[in-house]
Amino acid sequence: MGARVAYDVAVVGGGPGGYVAAIRATQLGLDVVLIEEKHLGGICLNWGCIPTKALLKGAEVAHTLGSAAHFGFSVSDWDFDLARLVKHSRDVSSRLSSGIEFLMKKNKVTVIDARARIIAKERLALAHQDGSATEISAKHIILATGARPRPVPGVQPDGEHIWTYFEAMTPAALPDSLLVIGSGAIGVEFASFYNDMGVDVTLVEALDQLLPNEDPEVATLVSRSMGKRGIECLAATRVEGTSVEESGVVCTLIDKDGERSQRHFERVLLAAGVVANSDDLGLEALGIETDRSFIRADQWCRTNLVGIYAIGDVSGPPCLAHKASHEAIVCVEHLAGVPDVHPIDKQTVPGCTYCRPQIASMGMTEKTARENGRRIRVGRFDLQANGKALAMADSEGFVKVIFDELSGELLGAHMVGPEVTEQLQGFGVAHSLEATVEDLAHNMFAHPTISEAMHEAVLDAQGRVIHA
Amino acid sequence: MAEIQLLRVPKWGLSMEEGTIALWLIEEGDDFAEGQEVCEIETSKIANVMEAPFAGRLHRIVAHPGDTLPVQAVIAVVAPAGVDESEIEAVLAAEGSVDALSDEDKSTYRLPLEPAAETATGDASQSVAARADVGELSIPESLKGVTSDDVFASPRAYRFAVAQGLDLSYVVGTGRAGRISMSDIRSAVRTAGGTLPSPPSAPCATALPASNVDDEEIEATPVARRLAKAWGIALAACRPTGRHGRVCKADVEAARSRAGAPEPERGNAQKAAAAPKEAAAPANPGIAVPMTGMRRTIAARLSQSKLDSPHFRVAVDVQVDAIAALRKQINAEHPGVKISVNDFVIKAVAMALVRHPNCNIQFDGDVIQQFEHADVSVAVAMEAGLITPILRAADTKSLVAISTEMRQLATKAKASTLTPEEFQGGTFTISNLGMFGVSQFDAIINPPQAAILAVGGAREEVRFVGGEPAPITLMNLNMASDHRVIDGALAAEFLQSVKRNLESPIVMLAGEV
Repeated sequence: MGARVAYDVAVVGGGPGGYVAAIRATQLGLDVVLIEEKHLGGICLNWGCIPTKALLKGAEVAHTLGSAAHFGFSVSDWDFDLARLVKHSRDVSSRLSSGIEFLMKKNKVTVIDARARIIAKERLALAHQDGSATEISAKHIILATGARPRPVPGVQPDGEHIWTYFEAMTPAALPDSLLVIGSGAIGVEFASFYNDMGVDVTLVEALDQLLPNEDPEVATLVSRSMGKRGIECLAATRVEGTSVEESGVVCTLIDKDGERSQRHFERVLLAAGVVANSDDLGLEALGIETDRSFIRADQWCRTNLVGIYAIGDVSGPPCLAHKASHEAIVCVEHLAGVPDVHPIDKQTVPGCTYCRPQIASMGMTEKTARENGRRIRVGRFDLQANGKALAMADSEGFVKVIFDELSGELLGAHMVGPEVTEQLQGFGVAHSLEATVEDLAHNMFAHPTISEAMHEAVLDAQGRVIHA
Repeated sequence: MAEIQLLRVPKWGLSMEEGTIALWLIEEGDDFAEGQEVCEIETSKIANVMEAPFAGRLHRIVAHPGDTLPVQAVIAVVAPAGVDESEIEAVLAAEGSVDALSDEDKSTYRLPLEPAAETATGDASQSVAARADVGELSIPESLKGVTSDDVFASPRAYRFAVAQGLDLSYVVGTGRAGRISMSDIRSAVRTAGGTLPSPPSAPCATALPASNVDDEEIEATPVARRLAKAWGIALAACRPTGRHGRVCKADVEAARSRAGAPEPERGNAQKAAAAPKEAAAPANPGIAVPMTGMRRTIAARLSQSKLDSPHFRVAVDVQVDAIAALRKQINAEHPGVKISVNDFVIKAVAMALVRHPNCNIQFDGDVIQQFEHADVSVAVAMEAGLITPILRAADTKSLVAISTEMRQLATKAKASTLTPEEFQGGTFTISNLGMFGVSQFDAIINPPQAAILAVGGAREEVRFVGGEPAPITLMNLNMASDHRVIDGALAAEFLQSVKRNLESPIVMLAGEV
């Protein structure tokens, strides 16, 4: 083999940040090594974005079967095999993971299965799976080690009764009842999934608003919708302690008035955010700065130590795969001196949540825009007035847009409804091209589509909505 | 026959191999004097005005704006009025058959032998149409004034400004080192709302070859900007019809068709397609490896260097224990840098160059240029060859600054993202093969520089100090100099300074004394 030991770029972590960085650096003619401990593709591909979408498709089928009567079908005798749905989800993951392996081969990226630790400037120690240890050096070391579920005092995941997303994604059986702690994207998606599968779901959020990162109007509509489906949504509620019993978990909840209550759930899912995988990288010995577990990096993803970069979840929120991939490109292109590289604007990273109804948003909420002292114009359009949504009998949702009054710039877009996660990109393109409210109003939207609601919301911001 | 003469692509520098016609300044049928400016030609390095080497009457333009031709290729035919066209064809045909181009080059730079469309009558009407299209000259009030004679502008731009009462201090120069060209004046006039008739020549001159025009301030859609760049159309020359007065795609397309759209593919495609000739199945078949542009440049420059400059070498061993210790200390203390031994060498050389300005030079065979600061070129190996990015004024920079800049330049070199300013020029080169385990080697001078330092790897040796063996670390420095301009004693003194700087690095901290 004649193993090399010196590279231009070493990437630690093979998730959507790391593998993208490795490919881009190779495209630029640099010698690249990718070090991954477990699975290429990272959490996104193996335990996150992708396999949950497979499960949620199953939930959608369950919902469709339940509402088939609306379209004249009476479906009475159907059966469900949970194991097959979980297998579909795992199959998709392993297929994509081997796809990444292929991409690495195709791009001639050296992949080493090992755990890496920085031991000096430009130097990594590798602990291989067979127990051996080696060292490599690289001019540029990109840390893309991701994040893991954040622990909550008094709630200790045990892999059986108290789950994190790993167990929630591969259930052997459906529990009768489930407590979901945390109402970010992960918590809300699992709440939606298990509810559609017939589980009695309770969702608690420590902050005052469910979906705390979303615009309040979005949060209100989604909580109401989930409540109607039978999900008990408890905002401003904390879990103080848990005690695991044979039949499940007894949880002590504290509500907004400080009232304690004891509740029994068969299973508990801990989804209260993430912490960075930064503890065993050798950061402290070298004085690499962190901020509450996340590695500090500048707009070009550089840490305070020469030649060390951090991208994706490990470098701080928003902890999203597309942010990691985008940072990978910015980081690599900047260190390689590609002209016209622009830093990421973390304010405009889009976010998608695949509960029912779906949520898609980018940019400022109305509240943050006003707090920034902007003079804004807000436009809204309800899917009740959208023909396509009505035809699909799926008209729960709306589009809300926020424009700067002076510049006409799109400051934020917030959408709830069927497939809004696919529609958000339209606003994203407009934003990155600095399209104004007039540009968007001038654009012709195809009929009949749900995205016509985007157009109407823009027209509403100009005070000239047609269908409302 | 004797009255027919040819204008050819001039050779403006050692490395000039080809030129691109930017603009004709005279028309077919015009008489010109010796020394008169006849056309603008761009090379990979400069844009310049070609002066007529003799007087005559421009009979036919062979190379039109945008055409790229090798040095000495024919660009125009000079002949008195009434000359027989068949004679001209004969001269051009002879030129085509006897010129020194290889077959491959000929296909790349094929000369348009068939008579160009604009023969006498057709040409006249086209020129009139072109002029009518562009309109009258009008210089906006905002640009009027008196141009002072210290403005850095091309001679033509300066003369035009004086004649038209235009103040060049209002015009942004986009040429090398900010030189103002006619095209800068043109875009400034248009941006300020004035009109400027395009130069009286072929109609394609109505679209400005825009490669050197700064279009940043022109409002345009992203698509339009990209097309304009791809097609070499100045956004300033497009009539904006998009929303908010932006130049949109249709405007660039319109400007392009006004210019008489050039063929999308030229030259290179054919060159690439030209398959290497194969011999008939030899026992050990070789593969024809195409020369990359970088390979060609290396080949041309270094063989020229060996031919022109008499190299001689001076070598010295330097003890590097002190810088090794210092390096370790800095790297341990300072998270923001990782200083290499080579960074010390760069710093030591830069300081020695300032101390010995006779080594801090460029030499073109006639003139010795001596520089105030040391622009140190550092050879970086790449898969396709090597390149020498430059640390500008390295004598003024701290070790940390040198290290940070060198790290970036080396990565940019590997990613091929260096800009010409980052690798063209330099007053001295350092080549270090220490990391390949080389203990000593010699190098070839990179012209127009006059010296190069070959740095070997550190090696441990034993030296007797007071009868006791003691380990020391040595590194070999081997300097090649051009004896035309650097003598042996000078090279030795220079190397002594480098040696002193490296063996007592505290001297570098103290600064030059």
